[in-house]
Formats: sequence, structure tokens, C-alpha cells
Amino acid sequence: MTVVGREAIRAVNVVKRFGSVTALNGVSMLVARGETLGILGDNGAGKSTLMKILTGYHQPDSGQVYVDGRPVQLSSVDAARALGIECVYQDLALVNGLSIYHNMFLNRELLWGGPLKLLDHKTMRRRAAAALEEIGVSVPSVELEVGRLSGGQRQAIAVARAVSQDARILLLDEPLAAMGAREARLIIDLIDRLRARGDIAIVMIAHNYAQTLEICDRVILVQHGEITFESQAASTSAEQLLEIVRREYRAARAG
Amino acid sequence: MAQSAAGAGLARRAYAFLLRPEASVILVSVALVIYFEIANRNFLTAANAQTLSQFVAAPVIIACGEIMLLICREIDLSVGQVFALAPFLMENVNDLGIPEPIAIVAALAVCALIGLMIGLITIGLRVPSFITTLGMLFLITGLTLTISRGYPANTSGGPILTGIMGEWAYSEIVWALVIVGVMHVVLRHTRWGLHTVAIGGNIVASAEAGIAINRIKIANFVLTSTLGGLCGLLEAFRVGSIDPLAGGSNIMFLGVASGVIGGTAIAGGAGTIIGGLVGGIMLGVMQDGFTLQGINAFTFDIIIGAAILIAMIANIHLARLRGGQQA
Repeated sequence: MTVVGREAIRAVNVVKRFGSVTALNGVSMLVARGETLGILGDNGAGKSTLMKILTGYHQPDSGQVYVDGRPVQLSSVDAARALGIECVYQDLALVNGLSIYHNMFLNRELLWGGPLKLLDHKTMRRRAAAALEEIGVSVPSVELEVGRLSGGQRQAIAVARAVSQDARILLLDEPLAAMGAREARLIIDLIDRLRARGDIAIVMIAHNYAQTLEICDRVILVQHGEITFESQAASTSAEQLLEIVRREYRAARAG
Repeated sequence: MAQSAAGAGLARRAYAFLLRPEASVILVSVALVIYFEIANRNFLTAANAQTLSQFVAAPVIIACGEIMLLICREIDLSVGQVFALAPFLMENVNDLGIPEPIAIVAALAVCALIGLMIGLITIGLRVPSFITTLGMLFLITGLTLTISRGYPANTSGGPILTGIMGEWAYSEIVWALVIVGVMHVVLRHTRWGLHTVAIGGNIVASAEAGIAINRIKIANFVLTSTLGGLCGLLEAFRVGSIDPLAGGSNIMFLGVASGVIGGTAIAGGAGTIIGGLVGGIMLGVMQDGFTLQGINAFTFDIIIGAAILIAMIANIHLARLRGGQQA
């Protein structure tokens, strides 16, 4: 399997149980810098659990996660973040009532020097605009309230924030859900540009097979807590993936 | 050509002003002032300016705290009771032979502690602040009545101190304006204010970003109780006597109404201190104007109540027009 750049994050034999339910049963995966990996699968297949292990939200019962080839303990979301792992959730990430630049600097606000610790709106505005420009996200003004943006623009802002906060392993949770074609194009282009930088590894969860195959370099299919299919996106068709899932349905009905 | 461009610029700026949450309230206030001046020539006089400032000051001070709480989706129903308690605390400390200025600080410290308690119960025990402060409302009323034995008392202190603290005709409105200025800066230009808005707007995103949600909320409870106590002290010095039943739910609701009329969203996430000031002025103008007109005390409340309702309905619908955001 061709790997684009240096190894970014690797999971080996990850097992996660919730009571008597085994959510992940020995999952192994690898993403390199400059590569985009799509995780496909049904609801309850285990892809969200895998994502939450990578973000440090859940801890695996067994197995090991490596970042840059070194074994790590992702004991909390903060611990994962410190290693450059950032997850972008579509609707949870931004505060609609605040401006774009306030959102991009949320809880990392820049302050004027001095005892009063007043917010340095000017520098935040300038830097937010520069950060957005750098990754090619265009907005009329960074002073616009996030609530006035479209779903695609909001998603782009959330991704831009993660990247500007030095996220080098970017996890995207359903980045194209509930988006029209033009909106989706905005995000697909953004992901392409980030991939082209070569220093960011992108992992995305998705439902839409055709879209995911278009965006990603490689896809894996998760079923019943196991990876049942893995392939380069270029040599895979949506029909192929559908056939695998269809087989599972037929088996479930027969069983 | 240049003239029409300038005209268009002016029109655009006027339109932008009208879209601000405070704008409609300012317009209504101006209309009310004109109406009252026509109806009663005494409205725009120095004597009435003093009366008007006294109607405005207390609700605005209370509003400064309540706005911060409403923005982060909390409320303090007991601030009017802290208002009544504070002067008795001060007098009791003063009676121990401790100088008045220190007694004032001590009273405010106790008010701050009450706010801290409300915050800790609300956050720590996960009781909605509506319930926590409803309980505190009765508890503090009982406390004040016990301390005072139900009797009013007189304020003490030298002329300079009492002058600063409310006896001078305009001291209370000066206090109110200074507090408005400080709280405007806090809300717009500090992390405290920004995080208050963020928490009210999206608590999950705020937690994700690592904002100290509990600390911000508790700080806002402490702020509100302390401002309530300060306001009670100012009123006590102005009147020269301390009434165990002063303030109460009336002053609390006037504060909340000032904020909401001025554009603070009751569901959190949005609001301005300047809006609270403007809302307080509008309520004050109405109270003062109708009083001057000699309207019957019973119909007075009907008019005020209806006016508050109309102002709030107008504001919610204007907010929808502004950007589809719900107030």
C-alpha cells in the first residue's frame, strides 16, 4: 500500500467494550501526513467509537495508539489535543452569536498588555482573516456572526480554527452531512488544499460512499466493530462497497 | 452626485443604527419624552430630571448584573432581597463601633458571599438558578425581617459619605452610569464577558474550547448579588432610612425588564449593557411621566405592565427581522 508521507497516527488491535457490547474488536489502522482516510460504516458499526478513541474521549480496553510512531496514551481530549489531534464536529464547534474571529480565538483570546487584560480585537481580527486566507476560506468579513453563515461556511471556519490551532491530525465527524452540492464543494476543496500541504493527516467519518471515495485517498469499512474492507479510493467503487454492506444485510435477515 | 452618495451613506448608517437592538428602545423613549412634555410642561425641568434619574438608576444597576446572568442562561430572583438586606448588614456592623466605610465594605462582602452561595448551589448541586434564587428570595426576606425585627431604621454616617453614597441628588445616577461604563467594558472587552456570551450561545462548544464555565457563572452570581447590595445601600442613603421591605421582587423585575427591553435574550447568548441602560431609561420615563400626569395608582400598573409587554414583543419581533435570530 502506498503511503503518501510520514506516518501520523496508527492504531493497533484496538478493543473497546461497553458492558457486554464489543464496540471495537481488534481494529488496526494507519494514516500518513498528507493523506485523507475515510471511515465508512453503518450506525453502530463502531466508527464513532474509533473516532472517540483517537480524540481521547474513550480509552481502549486493549490495543495501542501511536502518534508519529511513538506509543501514546490518549487519556483525555486535552492529552490528544496536546499531540496535535483535533476533532471537528459539525454543529457543536462554534458559538453562533459570536463573530468569526471570536470563534477562531475562543478561549485563546489575544490580550493587550497591561493589568486590565482587555481583549485585543484588532490583532485577533487581522490574524483570523490571515488564517482563513491562508487555507483559502473566503468570508465577507471576520466580524460577521457565525450564525449568519451557511452550514458549509461554518464547517470551514471550524476546520480553519483547528488548523490554526496547530492541529496536525484532523478528525472530521460527518463533515458533509446535511449539505447541498455547492456547500459540500466548499469543504471538499478545503480538504484537498489541506491535504496538498502535506503536513496534515485527515481522518473523516462519513455515510455517503460516492462522496467519500471522491475526497479520500483511502477508505476503510467498519462492520460490527471490525474493519472488513480497506482499499485505495481510486481503485474502489461505491457499488463495490454497497455490495459488501448488502451482503451483510442479507446475512442478518437470513440469520 | 457627491451629495446623493453622502445621502446614501447617511441612509445606510441610519439603517444600520435602526437594526441595533437598542435603537427601537431609544426611539420609543424619545417619543415618550416628547409626549410627556406636550402633555405636561413640567417633564423637561431640572426638578423632574432629578426625579427621573432616581427612577432610572436602581433598575439599571440591577440590570447590569441580571444581563450578565441572562446572557449565560441564568437568573437571580433574589437580588431585590439582597438589596433590602445590605443596609441592615451595614448598620449592624456600624453598631459594633466599626466606622461606616468599613461597615459598607463588610455589607458588600456579605452580599458577595450570598452570590457565591447561590452560584455554588446552582453549579455544584445542579439546581436551576430559578429555583435556587427563589429559595434564597424567601430565606433572605426572613433574614432581613429577623435582623430588623420588622422595623425600619435610620442611616448614619457623615455628610460626605452619605452624599457620595446616594444623598446628593444625582449621586445614584452617577454610580449607575459608572457601573454601566465598567460593565460595558467587561462584557465587550474582557474574556469574562466574551466567555459569558459563549456559554449562553453554545455551552457544548464552550466546554470543548476549555472555557471555565462554572467559574464564569459563579462570578456572574457574585457580581449580581454585590450590585444588588450596593444598589440597596445607595437607595437607603438617598431616602435616609432603611426599610426591611425595600426593593424586593419589584426592583428585580424592573432590572430584568430593563435588560430584556434593551435586547438581552431571555434564552441567553446575546445582550448588551447599553441596552439595559436604554431599557431602564425607557421604564423610568414611563413611570415618571405617568406619575406626573397624575394617573391613578391602580391604572398605573396596568399601563406599565402593558408597556413592558409591548416593548418586549416589539423587541423579539425586531430581533427576528434583524437576522432570524430568536430573542
